[in-house]
Amino acid sequence: MISPYYYQLLVIASINVIMALSLNLVTGCAGQLALGHAAFMGIGAYTAGILTSVYHVPFAVALVAGAAVAALFGLIVGLPTLRLKGDYLAIATLGFGEIIRVAILNMGITGGPFGLRGISKHTNLTLAVAAAVLAYLTMKRLMNSRFGRALTAIREDEVAAVAMGIDATRHKVLAFVISAAWAGIAGGLFAHWFRYLHPSSFAFSASVEILSMVVLGGMESLEGPVLGAAALTYAPELLRGVSDFVSRHRMMFYGALLVIMMLVRPQGLIGSGVKGLSISKLGRIHGVVRLPQMERVTQWLTAAKQRKHLNDSSVSTDSRVVEERLAGLGMSSGTGSRGTGIGSGGGEEHAGS
Amino acid sequence: MKSMNHMFDAHKNHTGTRPDGRKGDNGRNKGKKFWFSSLFTAGIALVLAAAMFLAGCAGSQSKERSGQADGGDKVIKIGMVGPLTGDYATYGQSVRDGVQTAIDEINAEGGVNGYTLQLIAEDSRGESTEAANAVQKLIDQDKVTAIVGAVLSGETATVAPIAQDAGVLLITPSSTAPGLTEVGDYIFRNVITDDVQARQLAEYAVSQLGCRKFAVLYANNDYGVALRDNFTSKVEEMGASVVAVESYLDGDEDFRAQLTKIGSDIDALYIAGYYTEAAKIAQQARRQGIAATLLGADGFYSEKLVELGGEAVEGSVFTAGFYSGDASEAVQTFVSNYKQKYSQEPDMFAANAYDTMKIIAQALAKAGNDRAALKDEMYSVKDYPGITGNTSFDANGEAVKDVVFLKVENGKFVRAD
Repeated sequence: MISPYYYQLLVIASINVIMALSLNLVTGCAGQLALGHAAFMGIGAYTAGILTSVYHVPFAVALVAGAAVAALFGLIVGLPTLRLKGDYLAIATLGFGEIIRVAILNMGITGGPFGLRGISKHTNLTLAVAAAVLAYLTMKRLMNSRFGRALTAIREDEVAAVAMGIDATRHKVLAFVISAAWAGIAGGLFAHWFRYLHPSSFAFSASVEILSMVVLGGMESLEGPVLGAAALTYAPELLRGVSDFVSRHRMMFYGALLVIMMLVRPQGLIGSGVKGLSISKLGRIHGVVRLPQMERVTQWLTAAKQRKHLNDSSVSTDSRVVEERLAGLGMSSGTGSRGTGIGSGGGEEHAGS
Repeated sequence: MKSMNHMFDAHKNHTGTRPDGRKGDNGRNKGKKFWFSSLFTAGIALVLAAAMFLAGCAGSQSKERSGQADGGDKVIKIGMVGPLTGDYATYGQSVRDGVQTAIDEINAEGGVNGYTLQLIAEDSRGESTEAANAVQKLIDQDKVTAIVGAVLSGETATVAPIAQDAGVLLITPSSTAPGLTEVGDYIFRNVITDDVQARQLAEYAVSQLGCRKFAVLYANNDYGVALRDNFTSKVEEMGASVVAVESYLDGDEDFRAQLTKIGSDIDALYIAGYYTEAAKIAQQARRQGIAATLLGADGFYSEKLVELGGEAVEGSVFTAGFYSGDASEAVQTFVSNYKQKYSQEPDMFAANAYDTMKIIAQALAKAGNDRAALKDEMYSVKDYPGITGNTSFDANGEAVKDVVFLKVENGKFVRAD
């Protein structure tokens, strides 16, 4: 028999896995940096929680309703914001997250700053794990479908993707809606496990934590976010038990662990190692976050990559991508050496942006 | 799952627009990377698994130890949970240090029925989820007999059902939101609640200070809202009026817009929030020509109020559950013991935590090291003479305590009544 402590950790880990997987669809697959993902979880949690506790709706219905309302918000937010790129999208989603938190804080039915109490316990480990597995399978199918590959194309080069006939906004909004729906389900599970909701659980810091799970685990793969979510759920708890010194400074160790991870393995635990170098993508995504360490990491990586270019006589991966993209657009690629210049220049530009 | 992959792979080939057209170009290099990646992942997984295993061992070890504790070692474990790091760390640390001061005193006098008390403090970072994990750990791994905590109201609301389900006494020395103890019979609170102190202050301000026109500026959180509601209703009950109600958020710096709306035509301004913002509000109010008496709750009670507010907070009146300047022997013993150990003045969090621990110890002495008997014993606590006034518990587990009125005079806190 598993102790209630580990049981609870596994439930939270499963919920976090769903959150990380759903964010990964937007940030990892489609390459859109969203900083308000926890808000969708909050919407799902409060919707489901209010439905079961105030209106006595069956749990299953409330869970689906929570997902539906979150998806609706995903659509409302996604339509205007996903026309934005990079920094602007990040700021817009961040703003949305704060609006939702403050709205919940000021509404009567949500309990406002007192939080929502009196929710009954419906979530159990079986249900949480089943939902996580279902989320994984859904994402797996999505990623390998035409839709998923269109998202990847948008991430790699939106202009090229549009030139290929992909409706970028439609695809991004759809990804955002699906992602929001899953976050809503995670929220519903969260609400009916803890039996109490407070707006602070869905603040900006929660969104960042989910993003860290995705980045730490490794974007683009599905195993990455799963592992990242499990690791970041367990790591702070693990640091409790080590020694008095460590548990006193455990958040410092936790932070150091993240920084070291990003230095040693910027592509995440399970990164895009299979798919080839992704420095330009990293630069694109992390450059937006503008963390000083991240900038240093991307600069360092770009420099390392350039050194490699000078030493390596063979044509670089990136220049090949450029050539392929140009070929795809029906243009000639020019000389190999020029291609290299474009490739590395692109990487640098992203890193600096 | 594998078959499904396969299906999609076939589909992928069919459509022909694979995004990863690089495959095979430098396959050897990729193979190497993949190998490294899976090795790395396997390594991480192993470390995690080992850690889980070790933690499990440690858990079973502590189980054995607590088993011995009943017979040989004679240790009673007391848990504490609250923010020891992060934005709210000062509150949590004060609670921990207050409990520790009490435990040191009790152990120095020979413990409880020959048992030594041991404190296990766990950090919640001020987050509800963390607090829930910490409480589960204290109950399952450490096998504590009682828990002092949590500190913030949101944390307490999250952990109370967990402690109730496990049948462990949970007593918060600082969460003031209404209704927290209604979760069940194992949940107690030893702090004056927001409604009690707000209503008593309203009564005092109208009848003793003679104020007629009030304005309320509240922090938009559970604490501020509860104070606002109760203060406003009591003022109106007393026949005086509240002419303006404005809000702010924790961490705000600029209150000029709210203060302009409130205006200077008031007798008293009730600031329902904590000292950092209160000090800034006081200064900005004075600069805008608001000369009204400033009123506050126990969130005012910190040296920082005077440090940050200076002249502007002079003459402010607020409610508190504890006065460190009290001449009684019990208070002075606590203050000197606390100062000696932590080299700072104890605040109300530390004082309530200290009294809470002393009350638990007294109940333990009668009930023995038994969770259910301890809970029953807590209900029979009547007028315990602590440093925060006489304390009893009602049928809900709510403390019935005295409120003291404090006033800032020449940069020092003195009793106003």
